[in-house]
Amino acid sequence: MKVLDSFRSALQSLVTNKLRSALTMLGVIIGVAAVIAMVAVGNGASQQVQSSVLALGSNLVTVTPQALSDQGLRGAGVQSQNLTLDDMTAIQDQLGATIKAIEAEQQAGQWQIVAAGQNWNSRVTGVTEQYPLVRDWGLSQGEFFTESDLRLNAQVAIIGSTTAAQLFGEASPVGQNLQLRQVFTDPRGGGRARIINFRILGVLEEKGSTFGFSRDDQVLVPTTTAQRVLTGRTNSVNSIVIKAESSDQMDATTADVTGILLQRHRITDQASPDFQVLNQNDTLAALGNITATFTILLGAIGGISLLVGGIGIMNIMLVSVNERTREIGIRKAVGARRADILTQFLIEAIALTGLGGILGIALGWGITVVVQTIAPTLFVIITAGTVVIAVGVSVAIGVVFGLYPAMRAASLHPIQALRYE
Amino acid sequence: MSERVLTLHGITKSYRMGKDNVVHALRGADLEVDAGELVAIMGPSGSGKSTMMNVLGCLDVPDEGTYILSGHDVGKLSDDELAAIRNKYVGFVFQTFNLLPRLTALENVELPLIYGGSRSGRKGRALAALQAVGLGDRIHHRPAELSGGQQQRVAIARALLTEPTMILADEPTGNLDSRSSAEILAIFQRLNDEGKTVIMVTHEPDVAEHCKRIVRMRDGKVFADEKVEQPRRADDELRAMGTAAA
Repeated sequence: MKVLDSFRSALQSLVTNKLRSALTMLGVIIGVAAVIAMVAVGNGASQQVQSSVLALGSNLVTVTPQALSDQGLRGAGVQSQNLTLDDMTAIQDQLGATIKAIEAEQQAGQWQIVAAGQNWNSRVTGVTEQYPLVRDWGLSQGEFFTESDLRLNAQVAIIGSTTAAQLFGEASPVGQNLQLRQVFTDPRGGGRARIINFRILGVLEEKGSTFGFSRDDQVLVPTTTAQRVLTGRTNSVNSIVIKAESSDQMDATTADVTGILLQRHRITDQASPDFQVLNQNDTLAALGNITATFTILLGAIGGISLLVGGIGIMNIMLVSVNERTREIGIRKAVGARRADILTQFLIEAIALTGLGGILGIALGWGITVVVQTIAPTLFVIITAGTVVIAVGVSVAIGVVFGLYPAMRAASLHPIQALRYE
Repeated sequence: MSERVLTLHGITKSYRMGKDNVVHALRGADLEVDAGELVAIMGPSGSGKSTMMNVLGCLDVPDEGTYILSGHDVGKLSDDELAAIRNKYVGFVFQTFNLLPRLTALENVELPLIYGGSRSGRKGRALAALQAVGLGDRIHHRPAELSGGQQQRVAIARALLTEPTMILADEPTGNLDSRSSAEILAIFQRLNDEGKTVIMVTHEPDVAEHCKRIVRMRDGKVFADEKVEQPRRADDELRAMGTAAA
């Protein structure tokens, strides 16, 4: 029997029992749609996490001080202050062209900011001149400060877009002055305030928030200024951030940086250095593992409904075989072999699940569109792989759950089948 | 001497009904049929004629004995090989017509060619077979839209399609009125005149008298095998009915 004939006869039978076919297919449609939508949400979440990490800059190797340890005694919550601007310069000099950019940061804490008659509270961070390059973060207005500003401990600032909007509204802040103020309570009575004047050089592009923290509300000043003018932590930095040439180069860069710092800090025991080097790829991989598990879990939930749909297919195919016993007898009498009958019923099951699969993809896609509309912050991503797998799985379900009924049909004895009423 | 179509020798067949009840349907049946014969197999119920029909039609295999059909020893064949033999050598006509209700007359007739032979020319051959039984104008009707006699004619067209060596008819007029019966018998007689071998299983003497040879069965054996000197012609009866109606 030709496959074309089997196919025609299968479609004919499905069309004859329209309602039954549609209801049976519904199980598969819902199953496939569930898998597609669930996996789309999972993929979206993983994409979102990844882009959040990459929003901090790509191909980053970050050096931070290790908790202070003196002969096994660790300082409680105190970070050692052994990472310096000189370390940064040394790395820059030794690695040279093998890295793309490098910068060093020093947190200067929360400050009250006063400008243009407004005041606002914001986080102040000292950074070095390659910050925009390392963080892939340009300015919407003005210029970033330069190496000479760093050398001079210049009192210049770059402000985030939210900070700019809060202080200046629509007006351009570039060239304007702002004051950083800190109020002390004097033990001898009364309050005293430190007031430091800065000139605004530029405004950062709007970046949004990462893991719930707004990155647009901050003030950047030269690291040297943060050290000498704001914090008094001369020379020490909180972190050195190196941007590698490419993702492939990150392991090599991590090793190079570790080597340089071990030497500079005269550390012989490589197992307990006074700094730690964090490779962004490792962070991405760890987060990727978490989101992959999440996606698999969601897919499995959808898979269960697909399984239930498959059982529905099997149930209906068994009923169909029973109903058409006589037809099977007639076909066998005029010369149908076992394989012919098997193929006919198998194709019927596969047609049900295959068509159900295609409609399921459409429904799943529709669901993601609705989800996207209702919750625009939720990422949903349908990949070609998901679609291929969903169709493949639904056809496979047709084979698996159609096989037993089809085998029952094929093994019917022609005489008994012909006599069946 | 014409060609031998089938030879049955010492055929036995028993069925197990329930736990300890074995029914011996055939107990050593012998039969030979030559090409161009028109044979009626008669017998009371329980005589084994239904089982005989199943064995002749290769729907079932005998327990013992040999069955040679068109030179093939079919006693030892597998299910699929039997299916191929049925497709090629046997054309079935059943009492209950056994047409597929969802298919049109033409599609029903085409059915054997789906399982044997090629796609090309299938439609043309099916159409020719329907025209041969006088249903050329009903090809797109479904069985439910046809009368009993017409349905049986579709079944005959289906049986003729693969040009089998014999047509095996099981009570072909059992569900028909006398006029339709006469029409069906006339078709069988005409086919036989053209050289087709036709074997009918029936319990109606009226039907059997239209055949050239009557084989009588009792207790699972052939107990009488007689030649009919002057078979009744269904054409004559139809003409008589026509006059009576007029």
